[in-house]
Amino acid sequence: MNTTVVGKNLRKVDGFKLVTGGAAFTDDVLLPGMLYGKILPSPYAHARIKRIDTSKAKALPGVHAVLTYKDVPRVPHTTAGQAWPEPSPYDTYLLDSKVRFVGDRVAAVAAESRALAEQALRLIDVDYEVLPAVLDMEAAMDAGAPVIHDEPDSTKIFDREHNIAAHIRREIGNVDDGFREADFIFEREYRTQRQQHCMLEPHVTICWLDGDGRLMIRTSTQVPYHCRRQVAMILQIPVSRVRVIKPRIGGGFGGKQEMLLEDICSALALATRRPVKIEYTREEEFYMARSRHPQILRMKMGVKRDGTVVASHLQVLATTGAYGSHASTVQGNTGSKVLPLYRAPHLRFECDVVYTNTPVAGAFRGYGCPQGFFAQESLADEIAYKLGMDPVEFHRKNAIRLGDVDKLSAQLGEGKEGLPRVIRSCGLPECVKRGAAAIDWDRKRQSLPARAGFVKHGVGMSCTMQGSGIAGIDWAASFLKMNEDGSFFLQVGASDVGAGADTVLAQIAAETLGVSLGKIIVTSGDTDFTPFDTGAYASSTTIISGGAVKKAAEKVRAQVLGVAAKMLAVPVENLACAKDEVFTTTKPRKSVSMAEVALQALYQEKLQIMDGASHYNTDSPPPFCATFAEVAVDTQTGRVRVVHLATAVDPGVAINPMQAEGQVEGAVTQGLGFALSEELMLNHTGWPMNPNFLDYKIFSAKDMPKLTTILVETEEPLGPYGAKSVSEVPINGVAPAIANAIFHAVGVRIRKLPIRPEDMLRALYEQQPELKPEEALVTQ
Amino acid sequence: MIPQNFEYSAPATLQEALQLISGGECKVMAGGMSLIPLMKLRLAAPEHVVDLGRVPGLNSISESGGVVCIGATATHHDIESSPVIRGRVPLLAEAASHIGDVQVRNRGTLGGSIAHADPAADYPASLLALEAKVRLVSANSDRTVEAADFFLDPFTTAVESGEIVLEVLVPIEEPREGYRYEKVPHPASGFAVVGVAARIKKAGGKTTLARIGVTGTGPRAFRALAAEKLLESGADVATAAAAVAEGQETNADLYASAEYRRHLTRVWAARALTLALSRAS
Repeated sequence: MNTTVVGKNLRKVDGFKLVTGGAAFTDDVLLPGMLYGKILPSPYAHARIKRIDTSKAKALPGVHAVLTYKDVPRVPHTTAGQAWPEPSPYDTYLLDSKVRFVGDRVAAVAAESRALAEQALRLIDVDYEVLPAVLDMEAAMDAGAPVIHDEPDSTKIFDREHNIAAHIRREIGNVDDGFREADFIFEREYRTQRQQHCMLEPHVTICWLDGDGRLMIRTSTQVPYHCRRQVAMILQIPVSRVRVIKPRIGGGFGGKQEMLLEDICSALALATRRPVKIEYTREEEFYMARSRHPQILRMKMGVKRDGTVVASHLQVLATTGAYGSHASTVQGNTGSKVLPLYRAPHLRFECDVVYTNTPVAGAFRGYGCPQGFFAQESLADEIAYKLGMDPVEFHRKNAIRLGDVDKLSAQLGEGKEGLPRVIRSCGLPECVKRGAAAIDWDRKRQSLPARAGFVKHGVGMSCTMQGSGIAGIDWAASFLKMNEDGSFFLQVGASDVGAGADTVLAQIAAETLGVSLGKIIVTSGDTDFTPFDTGAYASSTTIISGGAVKKAAEKVRAQVLGVAAKMLAVPVENLACAKDEVFTTTKPRKSVSMAEVALQALYQEKLQIMDGASHYNTDSPPPFCATFAEVAVDTQTGRVRVVHLATAVDPGVAINPMQAEGQVEGAVTQGLGFALSEELMLNHTGWPMNPNFLDYKIFSAKDMPKLTTILVETEEPLGPYGAKSVSEVPINGVAPAIANAIFHAVGVRIRKLPIRPEDMLRALYEQQPELKPEEALVTQ
Repeated sequence: MIPQNFEYSAPATLQEALQLISGGECKVMAGGMSLIPLMKLRLAAPEHVVDLGRVPGLNSISESGGVVCIGATATHHDIESSPVIRGRVPLLAEAASHIGDVQVRNRGTLGGSIAHADPAADYPASLLALEAKVRLVSANSDRTVEAADFFLDPFTTAVESGEIVLEVLVPIEEPREGYRYEKVPHPASGFAVVGVAARIKKAGGKTTLARIGVTGTGPRAFRALAAEKLLESGADVATAAAAVAEGQETNADLYASAEYRRHLTRVWAARALTLALSRAS
């Protein structure tokens, strides 16, 4: 494609502010009279508040409000930042007389300092009736298990008596017939853990009332519009009385696709008529925010002797924690975005998502796919091995390809029937080819196992996909207007959460309008000043918000050309714009600068060149990814070191390749943690045991293996300038590629994440006793 | 988090410092790399912090009469880079280089670390293997204790109320001896899940002296006496390493069970001893 702005490695439009420490983030403002809000977390996994006395806390000088369930409206809702009507259960209350996990809200205070707020919390006197708790998802549906949501007013819960927040069963073809046709059937169980987002900037919200008494919410969110709608509903005030402002965001990864602090912070601001700030500490972030849904996956696949997959059946048990935020949709993705990777005619997905008295799960980069692909790609590797096939060949034979129609997606939409997915662009074969070359696959598959020594090397791979927006649901609008100097204001509801959306959207506008990137001034994510957008999630921003920007820019370009046509006295059809000017495409070449067009329009024609557009897609084109890992397994200690990780991604056209590569590198970093080290652990009473970075290990710069990032660009007909998405898909394949590489190295299958050294060593000694070191060092 | 309010003193002389702490109602701070995080996590809330950082000369490193004398406020970086320590007690320099990260090594001190006595700290293994001594002073006392008698329990040492660690005295290593500090760092905190310090002297192909200090494995650092004896009586590394945690209580945490920790101790003892042997001549 012949472009001048799109596809170029241009600097982030907000980069200067970010790197010079400008007032960029939510917490970078200090409002006069601002109070500090703090939430009293439940010390019990399950309890009823029998009595709560706030008088001592209220009497403390400097404390301006103490709120309990008695002081606030009781409106069942979900905190999931999803399009209305949200498919998640309405099982959550601003404050409640029952607490359902350690960390659940008991009360909230606003005081003149953080220290005073903390002191006030200690003065709240609570009598709890401690209830039996269920922490184990496998026990949650048992008869006699404590019912977590016994309140009558919650709605959209699948089976509250059995703690089932959501249940899914979908099938295409006939899986039973499929298994009868198969020559071999493989079935394995996989387990994944509770991972936390660990975004650099924790959840933080500042609320105040402006001069007109309207509620202002400056907040670190991925979903300003959903947040505005939800806060208005929960506090029972009109949407018109609420403004949500999204400044720069220090990472979300799905954790901020959630109305998490905005409701309670608003309630405190309304109660005190003062600005109030609530910011989670890192510890609170671990257990009072959101995490990845832990799952137990039973994956069954039937194959022909030649390796053709004929049927897949995935059964999932997942826990959403105490509240059903994203319960049905994350788990729906575990089926709909994973099983169709293979062209089997028979696919079945069954899932129960249960409540437990544990921290709440939610959206997290990959949105159910990292779990599903860990199971599917591990099993695929096992099947290939049993059939004597190279895993690369197995994928080549079975993977979805150009022109295919994924029918499972039609059954599994966002909590309801979806739309079929047609593959209009597919770079997966090229991803596999280039990823394999980067890791030296063919040679290392042969040579590595032969190496001597107690540290064994191996290589493994996986193939994965995702979506680009939610088909038929995600939509966005944008607005553009022209200034005297030939620059344009671009207003988008889209939420740049640090991934670079503002830059990508500005590049799309600049390309379409024929101006340089510096001529686009972006305002994003402010519900008063930017048009609607469902928000930054589901890998949607580039394709959906970008689609809206391209449409608006095309309309504005037509207006620009209209004015220029008069100025140059040529027909509009003979005009084009590029390099900040409008010029004739016929001889003789004549041109006017964008600034001249703007001056003409504003002062002669009395015309504001401006327009807006809305955009959605009825399909969600998948980006594809092939992940290749080389690992070194210390057979004496069980330590797994990733030596090299090669990730080849098909993002469609990369609007900004440098940013796209950054997204891949960030995703695989979180993927490494998911595979090897990250797990929020709870003790037997539901208390978090490692809510800090001294115990909970995320991969940092110094832990990283050699990374190779490859963009395999394809042209997607549904995307602006051929773009699809990139931010989620690279996280999906890291864990299975590592697990498969471990098998290649030492012949041991690990089916539980994270792969801890001790578990690795135990599995090694169990499955490969000959690897045990000499007698003297054997574990007793 | 922000620590609770506390009083802060930074005495300019040792005498002044010892006077201040003689009451006992205070916490002594050197680099603050252990105390400040504890205070920020509110696991420690001292009323009064006495900072030894401004006491002159307390960080000196010198050698006389076959003993290297290291002042309490010498930083980990001082120790890993000091020519005296690298030349005379290189095992200690090696251990120091394993501590935390560059920032921690620039601030953290030997005296602070050993007085804090984290069971997963790096120094104790080496100090035990080196048979070091710790000099403790108060306003009216001055005594020296063996490293082996200094580390008593997790976060508990022989330091008594009103006393501070003044200096650490380390007998020099012979140039021909082999040494090695090996460690399994906790992936998140960097502390030693297991750390093994080994010293070996050889003569005529035989091991004439073996000293093994182990940290991280148990509630306190210990000398692996049985393993030392085995080596000195001609046993091979594997046999000695197998005995390294013998009779010792073993820690367990989220990262490593007691069983796995014992296993790691043996594996890493074998690795440390093998390297120490290869360095000995």
